[in-house]
Amino acid sequence: MTKEQVTGAAEEEQQAQSKKALKKQQKEAEKAAKKAEKQAKLAAEQQTADEDDFAKDRYGVSAMVQSQEKVDRTLVRVQELTPHRGGQLVWVRARIHTSRAKGKQCFLVLRQQQFNVQALVAVGDRASKQMVKFAANITKESIVDVEAVVQTVEQKIESCSQQDVELHIERIFVISQAEPRLPLQLEDAVRPETEGEEEGRATVNQDTKLDNRVIDLRTTTSQAIFRLQSGVCQLFRDTLINKGFVEIQTPKIISAASEGGANVFTVSYFKTSAYLAQSPQLYKQMCICADFDKVFCVGPVFRAEDSNTHRHLTEFVGLDIEMAFNYHYHEVIDSITDTMVQIFKGLRDHFQTEIQTVGKQYPSEPFKFLEPTLRLEYREAVAMLRAAGVEMGDEEDLSTPNEKLLGRLVKEKYDTDFYVLDKYPLAVRPFYTMPDPNNPKYSNSYDMFMRGEEILSGAQRVHDAQLLTERALHHGIDLEKIKAYIDSFRYGAPPHAGGGIGLERVTMLYLGLHNVRQTSMFPRDPKRLTP
Amino acid sequence: MSMYQVKPVCGGDMKVDLPTCMYTLPNVHAQQGGGCGDHALQNGEVDPALKALEARQDEIMRKLYELKAAVDGLAKTVTTPDADLDATTLSQSPAAAAFTGTADLDSLLGKDLGALRDIVINANPASPPLSLLVLHGLLCQRYRVLSSVHVHSSVSSVPPQLLSCLGPRHTESYTRHRFQLGFTLIWKDVPKLQMKFNTQSMCSIEGEANVARFLFRLLAADPQDAVTATQVDSWVDMAMFQLAEGGSKEQAAVLRSLNSALGRSPWLLGQELTLADIVCACCLLRAGQAASPPANVHRWLQSCRNLGHFDCVYPLLQ
Repeated sequence: MTKEQVTGAAEEEQQAQSKKALKKQQKEAEKAAKKAEKQAKLAAEQQTADEDDFAKDRYGVSAMVQSQEKVDRTLVRVQELTPHRGGQLVWVRARIHTSRAKGKQCFLVLRQQQFNVQALVAVGDRASKQMVKFAANITKESIVDVEAVVQTVEQKIESCSQQDVELHIERIFVISQAEPRLPLQLEDAVRPETEGEEEGRATVNQDTKLDNRVIDLRTTTSQAIFRLQSGVCQLFRDTLINKGFVEIQTPKIISAASEGGANVFTVSYFKTSAYLAQSPQLYKQMCICADFDKVFCVGPVFRAEDSNTHRHLTEFVGLDIEMAFNYHYHEVIDSITDTMVQIFKGLRDHFQTEIQTVGKQYPSEPFKFLEPTLRLEYREAVAMLRAAGVEMGDEEDLSTPNEKLLGRLVKEKYDTDFYVLDKYPLAVRPFYTMPDPNNPKYSNSYDMFMRGEEILSGAQRVHDAQLLTERALHHGIDLEKIKAYIDSFRYGAPPHAGGGIGLERVTMLYLGLHNVRQTSMFPRDPKRLTP
Repeated sequence: MSMYQVKPVCGGDMKVDLPTCMYTLPNVHAQQGGGCGDHALQNGEVDPALKALEARQDEIMRKLYELKAAVDGLAKTVTTPDADLDATTLSQSPAAAAFTGTADLDSLLGKDLGALRDIVINANPASPPLSLLVLHGLLCQRYRVLSSVHVHSSVSSVPPQLLSCLGPRHTESYTRHRFQLGFTLIWKDVPKLQMKFNTQSMCSIEGEANVARFLFRLLAADPQDAVTATQVDSWVDMAMFQLAEGGSKEQAAVLRSLNSALGRSPWLLGQELTLADIVCACCLLRAGQAASPPANVHRWLQSCRNLGHFDCVYPLLQ
């Protein structure tokens, strides 16, 4: 029990120790062996790399383009990569949309605005293994310059816009590298909501998209939406210029609120304060009194309404029209509706690609309209609503649900998404609206609707200073505040009428989208001031 | 023995001389021999009496020609059978006619809710509904109708005569509520003509024949007895299915039955124009069979033309 045991124990310990030590040694030996193997392998690879990288100068990260030299090189647009360029060696600058490596090959999808094309780097006599590896490791969204041969393919590449060709890359250089972690994935941003729900794939919610607008705007859908919006603006201008209108620019910093003071933004103006214009109304009318006869203006409109709805923004682009007429304000309605119809026709005939692209992510019914535009009277609308079971008074304004219901009823009967409602009751219109000569309960005012939502509110304006004063007093408005406005009618004013539309709202309703923020590039609402 | 005896007043054996000639005239020819020498007319001079006679003859001939021209003019209206649809209402004064018009519309279409009663017709510009244009003309004569033509966005463009097929725009078209009825024609890419009126309580009516029946009933000129009504329907169906859409054999058969029916009466169903005449005439004109129709059909088509209701149709046939 004593020494012998102790010795025995010590021996055991020693034995145990030696066993442990043995095990430890074995492990270390294994480790060392592995390490040696690895190193040997790396060395071997390095050797092979150094040995076999014959394509070293055909790929890499370019130096930052600081305009070092003027390279005389034509870059072909991805849109133009069609079978008729088969066999040609072209240079293309585009973004890496996706990349997928498969052994000795790397498939890339190169994207340029709405168009993308498949590209291939394969180990061969033009590309080395290292080049393929480099291509596979380029981060998404990086901008690359690629020299490649355009190859026609027998089987259509369904996932790309250029379905009949493929690029076989010979040289690839990174012009601007993107950070590896993107705040949102473009495929997710383009995925339709329903697909996301059904298949459990990710979609990006609106706030994330708006926070990272720069990346979100790169998607095919956003590109299509804003190109169409540009088309709306351009068609608006062209149609009105052809009708003899003059484009004017009105001031946005004004001294007094024109339509009631509740919804204006105040800015500090040196020692006093000023307001941001709610609409160019006052200045449009002054231009008519200044004999410009027919004017329009395109510019921002600021409304300090604390409404967080799908169709309100605090700042939007207003397209406003004002026109002097001869005897009846219907001349102006006809002019405005004709302009709108020309815009719709132009979009229908020249922007079908954009409409289809948006339809992939946000499917909707195509926009229908009649020419000449359908014009209904307010009492007809009330009769239609009453027939459908809504209870409302003769002089009551239309609430938003009633407007939508009316839109559906009109669509059912006349199959049009765009119509004009004429002769609104006087009680619900602003003070400068001309009353109806035959019936004092009604006024010479009109609203225009697209897909059941109001896009334009207009009227014949009171052009007589005395009647204007009476109407202002009737509405309880302080005459001092609008003295300048009334004064502009004292020196001979022609009868005139007009109206204004919001560019974002019109684009949203034409495409059948559901939120005006999708059609505003950097939207502003009570909760959002950036980007 | 006799009671009374009277002596004879006159003798009983008087001889009476009865005349054998009623009237006697002097013999004109008895003076012949002596008369020739008295009148010196053999050397070319004209007897003033003869001149007067000739002048009278010319005058009579002129009056006869004038009479003939007047009769020719009347013949046109006389040979075209009387086309009064509803003699009772048309003969009344205009104000009264308008009043009965509104009352009819209220009973036919439901209570007036203070808004324009708008009939919407969607038609394909490739096959314009000619009979509906004729009925539109008849409606305009009876009611105050606001007519408008629109082109739907599904159709890129439409020939100008289709845009003006309902006539010129009414001068008061800016006040919709002053009209009793609205007639809105929309040229649209539809497979079959359709009509919508009150989408809450009515489904849409499809087919030109059915819309024609609806519009004709608005004129309150429907035949009252079942037999005539059925005959009208039968002719309308025959026109729409066999004349408009049938092969040449069917069309020839319809022409023969038209011819025989028109041999018996000026219009297809008697003395008055009915829906059957309107639809058959329009289908015939559109099918192009009007080039060389049988005699009765030709006369009947001419009568239709003379009425003036079909004027809107002819510009669309070219």
